[in-house]
Amino acid sequence: MPSGILFAVAFICAVMEFILEGFFQAFHLLASGNAETYSAIWATVKVSSYSICCSLLIGIPLGFCLGYFDFRGKKPLRTVVDTLMALPTVFIGLLVYAFITQRGPLGNFGLLFTLPGIAIGQTILALPIIIGLSATAVESMDEKLRIAIMSLGANRRQLFISSLWEARHGLLAGAIAAYGRVMTEVGISMMVGGNIKWHTRTITTAIALETNKGQFGLGVALGIVLLAIAFCVNISVSFLRRRV
Amino acid sequence: MDQLVYELRSLVHSYGDNTVVSIEHLAVRPGSILGIIGPNGSGKSSLLRLLGLIERPTRGKILFNGREVAPFKDEARFLISLLPQEPFLMKRSVFNNVSYGLKLRGNGGDIADRVSEALTWVGLSSRDFARRPWYALSGGEAQRVALAARLALKPEVLLLDEPTASVDAASAQLIKEASLRARQHWGATLIVASHDWQWLYEICDEIRHIFKGKIFGTGRESIVFGPWQEPEPGKWVKVLSDHQQLLVPAPPNQEAAALIEDLAVSESEPRAGTDDHVLRGIVSRLSLEKNTGQVVATIIAGNLPFTVGLTPQQVQERTIFPGKDIFIHYSLERMKWI
Repeated sequence: MPSGILFAVAFICAVMEFILEGFFQAFHLLASGNAETYSAIWATVKVSSYSICCSLLIGIPLGFCLGYFDFRGKKPLRTVVDTLMALPTVFIGLLVYAFITQRGPLGNFGLLFTLPGIAIGQTILALPIIIGLSATAVESMDEKLRIAIMSLGANRRQLFISSLWEARHGLLAGAIAAYGRVMTEVGISMMVGGNIKWHTRTITTAIALETNKGQFGLGVALGIVLLAIAFCVNISVSFLRRRV
Repeated sequence: MDQLVYELRSLVHSYGDNTVVSIEHLAVRPGSILGIIGPNGSGKSSLLRLLGLIERPTRGKILFNGREVAPFKDEARFLISLLPQEPFLMKRSVFNNVSYGLKLRGNGGDIADRVSEALTWVGLSSRDFARRPWYALSGGEAQRVALAARLALKPEVLLLDEPTASVDAASAQLIKEASLRARQHWGATLIVASHDWQWLYEICDEIRHIFKGKIFGTGRESIVFGPWQEPEPGKWVKVLSDHQQLLVPAPPNQEAAALIEDLAVSESEPRAGTDDHVLRGIVSRLSLEKNTGQVVATIIAGNLPFTVGLTPQQVQERTIFPGKDIFIHYSLERMKWI
C-alpha cells in the first residue's frame, strides 16, 4: 500500500479517536457533574444571555427604524451596519479592554475580568447583527401591512408593536444568529474576561486553554457541550416559532 | 343642513414630481354613498388612502366632521376604516385578524360576539373560520375576512377600494351586501371606488369621475381616451375598433381625454344634412340609478363604452334592451378636454 494512503488512514483514525474520546469525555463530564465544566457552562449561558438581552433591547428598535423609515444617509448607514456584522472579536475585546482597564475612561466601574465586562463586549458584537437582520426583516414586510394596521385605527405605538409582531420570524432568526455568534466567540471572553477559573472561564476559553495544554479530548468534549447548548436553544426557539 | 362628513380643500398629493391627486373641493354628506369611477392609475387608491388618513396630503386640507385631520389623529382614526384593494391579513388566526381593531379600541367583553357577527355578515361561519390561520383562506375568503375586520368596528366612514375586483362572483355578491349593511345598520358613509359601474349606479347617491387625480362630473358622462388622429387638416377623430370615427375638437395633446356629456340615443340613423354626429352601437346593459330613478344605459360603440341617461318611459317606449342596435348622438359643444 502506498505510504501516502497509509498516512491518510492513520490521520483519519487519529481524528476519529479524538472525536470519539471527546464524546465519551463530554458524556462523562456532564454525567459526573464535573464542577469546573458546569462553572464554564454557567458562565457561558449567563454572559451570553445578558449580552443577547441587551442587544435585543437596543438593536430591535434601531433595526426597525433603519428598515422602516426612509431618511438621508440610510444606505451608507446600512453599509456601515453590514460591515460591523463582521467585526473581529479580538478587536472588540481590545476596544472594551481599553475602556474598562483601570486607566481607561470606565476603569472606576471595576468591569475588567468580570462577566459584565465580557457581556459589554458581546453586546457590541451582537448589536450590528441584530440591527442588520431586524432591518432586513422589517424591510421585507409588505407595505400593505402598514395600510392594514393603520386602516384599523392603530396609533404610532400600536403600528410599531404590530409591525414587530408581524416580523417576528425574521427577528427571531436574527436573534438566533446573534446568539450563536456570541456564544461561540473567544476573543472578547479571553481579553476582557481573562479566562479566570470558576469566575470568567467560559466554554470557548476553556477549549482554548485545554487545547494549549494538549488536552484535545477535553477540548472536543467542551466543544460538544457547546453544540448541545446551541441545539437546545434552537429547539426551544423552533418550538416557540411553531406556537406563535 | 347636516355637517359634512368630509370636506377636501385645495388637496394635492404627489409622489416626487408625480401629482396623483389634485382636488380643489369635494364634499361628502354623512350617511351618503359616494362612488368613484376612473381608469387604473387615475388616483382612486391614492384618494382613498388620503381619506382613510393613511397618508398625509402634500398640500391642502382634509376636514372630517368639520375638523382638520391627519394620520394618527385621535379624533378620526377610530371612525374611519379603509378596505384596500388587495386584502392583507396579519399573520394570525381569522379571529385575531377580525378582533384586532376592536382590541385597539379597548372593546372588552363583547369582542367574541362582534367578531362572530361580522363574520356572519360576510357569509363566513364563525365556528368554521374563526380559528383558521391566515394562510388557509382563499382570495375571496381573505377579502371577506378583511371586510369583516372593518365592519366589526362599525366605523362612521367605510372606504372601499375595488372591493370586488379580485374575487369570484359569489364572494363579490356577499361583499356588496355586507358593505351596504354598514349604511343600513348604523348609517355609515360609504365611499366606493369600483369598476363595477352597474353596482355603483344601483347603490350610490352620487358618482364622480376621477382622472389624473382630478374629480369631476356626475358619473353620467362618457370618457374617451386618445390617441387622436387628424385625417385631414383641422379634423380630429378617434378611430374606433369597428372603423367608425368619433369627431372631436382639436385636442390639447395626445394624452388628453375627452369628457362627453348629454348623449342621446335613437333607433334610426339621422337624415343626411343634419348637424348631428352619430355613432352606431349596441346596448350592453341598463342600470337603475338609485337617487334619480333614471335608467343609465351603457352602449358599446367599437370597443368603447358610452353612458346615456334615460327616463324609464323612454326605455319603455323605445323598447331599449341589452343587445339592441342603437345610434348615439353627440355634440362637439358638449365635449370637454380633461
